[in-house]
Amino acid sequence: MATENISAPPAKPGTNSGFLKRFAFKPAWEKLTWTWRPETKREAGDAIVRNFVLHWFPAKVSLESLSWGYSFWLGTISAVLFLILTITGGVLMFLYVPSVERAYLSVKDLEFSTSYGWFLRGLHRIGAHLMVAVVFLHMVRVFLTGAFKNGRKAVGQNRPLNWIVGVALLLITLLLSFTGYLLPWDQLAYWAITVGTNIASSAPVFGEPTRFILLGGTTIEQATLIRFYVLHCFLLPLATLWLVSYHMWRVRKDGGLACVEKRYEEAKKEEQPAIASKTYSLLGITGGTAVDVRNVMVDDEKDKVPSSPYLTVRLAVVTLSTLVASIVLTLIVKAPLEEAANPAVTPNPAKAPWYFLWLQELVTITTFTVGGFTINGALIGGIILPGVLVLAAVLWPYFDKSPVSSIGRWFPKERKWQNWIFLLIVAAILILTFIGTYMRGPFWEIYMPWQEWEQTPRKF
Amino acid sequence: MLSKDAIKLYVLGLSLLGLTAWVFFRENRMDWTDYQAEFKEFVTEKFGAERAAQIPTGIQQIWVKDLDQVDRCTTCHQAVEWKGLETAPEPYRTHPKEILEKHPLTAYACTSCHGGQGYSTTLPDAHGNVEHWDSPVLGAEVSEAYLVKNSKALMEMNCNSCHRYDRETKGMDYINTAKKLVEEKNCRACHTINGRGGIIGPDLTFEGEKPTEQFDYSRLTGRHSVFAWHMAHFQNPKMVSPDSVMPNFGFSSQDAQALSLLAMSWRKKPIPANYISGVQLRDVPTQEEIDKEKRMLEGEGAFFVQNKCFICHSVSSLGVESAAKIGPDLSDAVTDVQSRFGRTLDDFLMDPTGTMSVVLSTQILLTPEQRQQAIALLKVAYQRKLEQQIKNASPSPSPAGK
Repeated sequence: MATENISAPPAKPGTNSGFLKRFAFKPAWEKLTWTWRPETKREAGDAIVRNFVLHWFPAKVSLESLSWGYSFWLGTISAVLFLILTITGGVLMFLYVPSVERAYLSVKDLEFSTSYGWFLRGLHRIGAHLMVAVVFLHMVRVFLTGAFKNGRKAVGQNRPLNWIVGVALLLITLLLSFTGYLLPWDQLAYWAITVGTNIASSAPVFGEPTRFILLGGTTIEQATLIRFYVLHCFLLPLATLWLVSYHMWRVRKDGGLACVEKRYEEAKKEEQPAIASKTYSLLGITGGTAVDVRNVMVDDEKDKVPSSPYLTVRLAVVTLSTLVASIVLTLIVKAPLEEAANPAVTPNPAKAPWYFLWLQELVTITTFTVGGFTINGALIGGIILPGVLVLAAVLWPYFDKSPVSSIGRWFPKERKWQNWIFLLIVAAILILTFIGTYMRGPFWEIYMPWQEWEQTPRKF
Repeated sequence: MLSKDAIKLYVLGLSLLGLTAWVFFRENRMDWTDYQAEFKEFVTEKFGAERAAQIPTGIQQIWVKDLDQVDRCTTCHQAVEWKGLETAPEPYRTHPKEILEKHPLTAYACTSCHGGQGYSTTLPDAHGNVEHWDSPVLGAEVSEAYLVKNSKALMEMNCNSCHRYDRETKGMDYINTAKKLVEEKNCRACHTINGRGGIIGPDLTFEGEKPTEQFDYSRLTGRHSVFAWHMAHFQNPKMVSPDSVMPNFGFSSQDAQALSLLAMSWRKKPIPANYISGVQLRDVPTQEEIDKEKRMLEGEGAFFVQNKCFICHSVSSLGVESAAKIGPDLSDAVTDVQSRFGRTLDDFLMDPTGTMSVVLSTQILLTPEQRQQAIALLKVAYQRKLEQQIKNASPSPSPAGK
């Protein structure tokens, strides 16, 4: 395929030499528009292996792994967003003061007087929301393509484990966003965290102590702010960094993206039945996952291209696209900052952060009155249902008995039913989130998006 | 694939460049940059380029640490403290001078009186009539909405934060009227205000702190605001809250406006003691202490009270009693000085040593005549003491005193 592009264009012999060459137009132009053109495949491979950042990629990569349509590069986008958040967050740490007295004012300062403060805060905020969305979509993609299943390619594959790491990363992403939500110390922050932690406290036995430890007391105060701040800026990012590194390493260990598995299946179909005399081997005795002695021979070189520049260029495209999209959204969407936090005034309605609004909706739905008794849905809707969902997500790969041939393909027939069930749950979450975000008005009544809410009272 | 990706890369790179320019432009073309440029032109035209060159550029702010307040209003309202722009159009007008003399910008900034959002550097946000900011600039715009005749009247609500305990304050006509009405109609018959009054109605001491959400607007027509609620309530209490037992006093709309402003001014926000009008920052002596000092001034030892000797010394035989009693009782100074310093009283007082030399050269400055007077009086004091001792020694009891 495109591999021949890699070799450098043939040098034109006998042209400018020496002194004149150094000042000739073309080399100067080439220096300005510097391009990477490895001379040999080995050089291309070395470029990846020797580079500290790039060395976690393989030296060569299959074309289908690079395709846009299979993975949508959602994992990479999440990582880029995390990078954007780390950089903007690092700068914000110099400007934000995590104290009840100064937090709100320091955010006002960011909005109005710090140079580019509005941009930093906006980009950090948009990046955070995007990361929640993209990490979730990444999970949806992995599920729908059955990418959490072990195939036949590599020894020591453990894709289910990596899926669990992914679920943990999604939860950490939510926690990162949730802890950051409190920091501006405005009404939005204060009451979102109130709603969120109240849901958490409805868990039996552990609920109240969890809330107490999280808040550093019984009310959201200075102790809460500093706890959330340390979690947000130090512990959770550290955990993310560590888990993401492991997540990436596991992808390599598991033999790359799941989409390459299907080539082994194709190769297996083409292969002739093995001769019986060849079925015994020392490998058979040593056991392990490599007992399939008739291991499929796949031409590893087929359809593979050097990571440099194929993967690196695409990585640059994804990184830049993510950055550009985040900046555009930052410039379009206004970052809200409500009144300073006021425990005495509950906004009506008081909403959790948008990604927890489906939980708040569930709490509403599962709260009902029978006779004189009101059953509080916080336990069912806020703890049990989401708990069951997370548990189901963790265990799913171990109950997925679909054939290996369904791995790494979108909507395979063999996994039709489980994909439908999964999509149904995703749709329910999205619909509930939409209702919670756009259709809940004062007193948690349903308001159509075009219906006007009662006017908010003002001082004047 | 590679060349397609390369094209994408170029497009993305260019758009990133464009976005950077956009961000840079937005950062450097805020509302205030336009106003500052215009002000420079305005001043150049009026006073010449030299004066215009002195105008500071960039975001200006007044930070009042005592009030925990930052106001950036002077970023656009640059002429606040200028002379000669009294009739210029806003935001280039000089602030009326008299009020600033008593309320310097460095101590009060802007929003503590005017309202608005001091942090802000953009026009709608700064003037505070925006979502999520409940303190608009109390000027013409809001006044017109409520048909308040005097466009500066609403501001009096903020003035009364510090002038709360004044009976009458110069320039605060609405609040003065309202305070008079509170006395005339005897609101305290039912309501407690500042710790004094009845309990039939709610305590109004912190009425201004009541959150906007806690009023019932369902019977209000028009704007749902605390001010509108108070206005309607003062003019017809039963119309707004049918269960109210508050009588209808038939207030005019201007009186209702004044009373609404007064009620809304009763806030809880802590104000540094030195900002509160009418609060004296000194320990007032009790009546007992005043009477005692008066008695001492009338007695034989008046000299020692007038000249502040009594701050440290009692002269008990002359009826002078020191509160502190840091120094020895001077009743027996004649002998005491002799025993302490080995010098006569006359000699010591004319040329003191030790603490007395410091006190008499810095704090209590006595002329030679006064010193002679002191010596003479101390001798009398000693005489009195001896007399008292003799009297006390005799069996008949006698009251202490002169």
